[in-house]
Amino acid sequence: MTTQAQQSASIVHLSNIKVTLGKRDVLSVDSFTLQEGEICALMGPNGAGKTTFLKLLLGMILKQTGGTVQLFGQTLSPHNQKLLHQLRRRVGYIPQQSLVAGEFPLTVREAVASGCSATIGLFKRLRPEDWRSVDHWLEELGIANLAERCLSEISGGEQRKVMIARAMAQNPRLLLLDEPTANLDMGWREQIIQTIQTLYRRTRMTFILVCHELETVPACCKRVVLINRGKLQADGPLEEVFTPRRIQELYGCRMSLFHRNGRYFAIPDPIPSTSTH
Amino acid sequence: MDSSFFTSYNSLLLWIPALLCGFLSGTTCGTLGAFVVGMRIPFIGICVAHAALAGAVFAALFGLEGQWLMLPALFTSGLTSLLLGVTNPRWIKMDDNVMMSVLFSATMGLAFLGLGLFSVMGRTDGDVRTLLWGSIAFCRWSDVWIMLCVGLLLALFILVFYKELQAILFSREIATASGIRTGAIWGGFLLLTALVFTVSLQSVGGLMVYSLVTNPAAAAFQLTRGTARCILLSAFFGTVSGLGGFLISALTDLPSGAVIVLLSSSIVLVSALWRLGKKR
Repeated sequence: MTTQAQQSASIVHLSNIKVTLGKRDVLSVDSFTLQEGEICALMGPNGAGKTTFLKLLLGMILKQTGGTVQLFGQTLSPHNQKLLHQLRRRVGYIPQQSLVAGEFPLTVREAVASGCSATIGLFKRLRPEDWRSVDHWLEELGIANLAERCLSEISGGEQRKVMIARAMAQNPRLLLLDEPTANLDMGWREQIIQTIQTLYRRTRMTFILVCHELETVPACCKRVVLINRGKLQADGPLEEVFTPRRIQELYGCRMSLFHRNGRYFAIPDPIPSTSTH
Repeated sequence: MDSSFFTSYNSLLLWIPALLCGFLSGTTCGTLGAFVVGMRIPFIGICVAHAALAGAVFAALFGLEGQWLMLPALFTSGLTSLLLGVTNPRWIKMDDNVMMSVLFSATMGLAFLGLGLFSVMGRTDGDVRTLLWGSIAFCRWSDVWIMLCVGLLLALFILVFYKELQAILFSREIATASGIRTGAIWGGFLLLTALVFTVSLQSVGGLMVYSLVTNPAAAAFQLTRGTARCILLSAFFGTVSGLGGFLISALTDLPSGAVIVLLSSSIVLVSALWRLGKKR
């Protein structure tokens, strides 16, 4: 049970949450708390409620939500839009979609700079220190050489890095990543996992990472939450939560789990025959 | 149209409002287009243009004329753009494009119904037909002032909300999630879109005004990088289309709206070919 002191020091605190879209209950959480500096993976099958969980934290579905959502110790309310906008400025959000901005020739540097737009407020222009922060994150994520390229001219993996740099330029306290490795090849997937790991080690910021596969959970992640049909099924350290039985219950297939260098891997069990002769 | 209109000083003075209207409508539509196309909402433009047309036609049917037609046109186009801005087609399990198509055909149907009612009621629809195809030649100084005000309003809006618009161009979803008040800025932008389409009815015509909005931007996207350069180039292409189209139509005695649109389409074609050549 969460104590009052823990609750006030927490970055995220949810209690008695029920999200109803139309006549359907899509998310139900009795209690969930995330402390400052924690990195938590949120895992579950398609349609389990993972993205809804992130939208709840961003205050995007408050009208459809019953219960209490607290961010940085403050309670979100659909009637207090000013507070909602203020709190959102401290949350970096990286959605699922890879291609943003379509064919508009927005440069990578401009895209990353858009992260500063909310924090410096209306009617003000970006200051030299904001541009320095933008260039810092471009360097940090290894995409400084792409700064003057258009978003439509870079690969899906590079676009994902741009989105992370944009979120970091916002100077957030909490980073929400919705399947940051989706639709990427193995090389880019590893690069993004390493990027998240490096960011976490350097900033010690609070992360919530939505993912589908066990192998995309970075080694620095010590807590995992399993979600299915809108309900939290397990919450705890990886070694306790990742069991073959739970994974079978979650994804509906038998898996053998392997653990190496702090990362987990799953292989279907029994391994299907690959013989063609 | 007399192609020798430039020959005397007096006739040149008479054509100055038309020249300025061509210049202003081209620049304003080109500037707006960079955002309309960048935000991937050109279909909203088509719906709004036809809604403005329908409003003006019905206003004419009820006896209004001249600049007074613009008020109901602004009302219907503003209402349509706001409706499109706040409605989520997925509420009724409909794809965005399908909903736009339904609205587009409905607003066009309304405009043509209004035109048809003129003959049913035994009245002539001469002036109203110019709203379909546009006729810069009939622009007056009052049209110039209205267009100038709308152009300045658009420029002011872009200057004030430049960084927020840039964030929305990157992703409206992310901009909202990061605490930008996208609702208010989006609403303001849609109302300005309606305003630009409405005041451009006279010069370019309701059937073709969206081409003057989308074509310059489509051409600029092929040739440049960066938000500011893209907006400026789009505005420049819009100006070339508006002003150049009017001059060509005046010299060749062809309908101005059609020439403006064809000129802007040619600019897109040349830009696309240039881009293709550069890739090879």
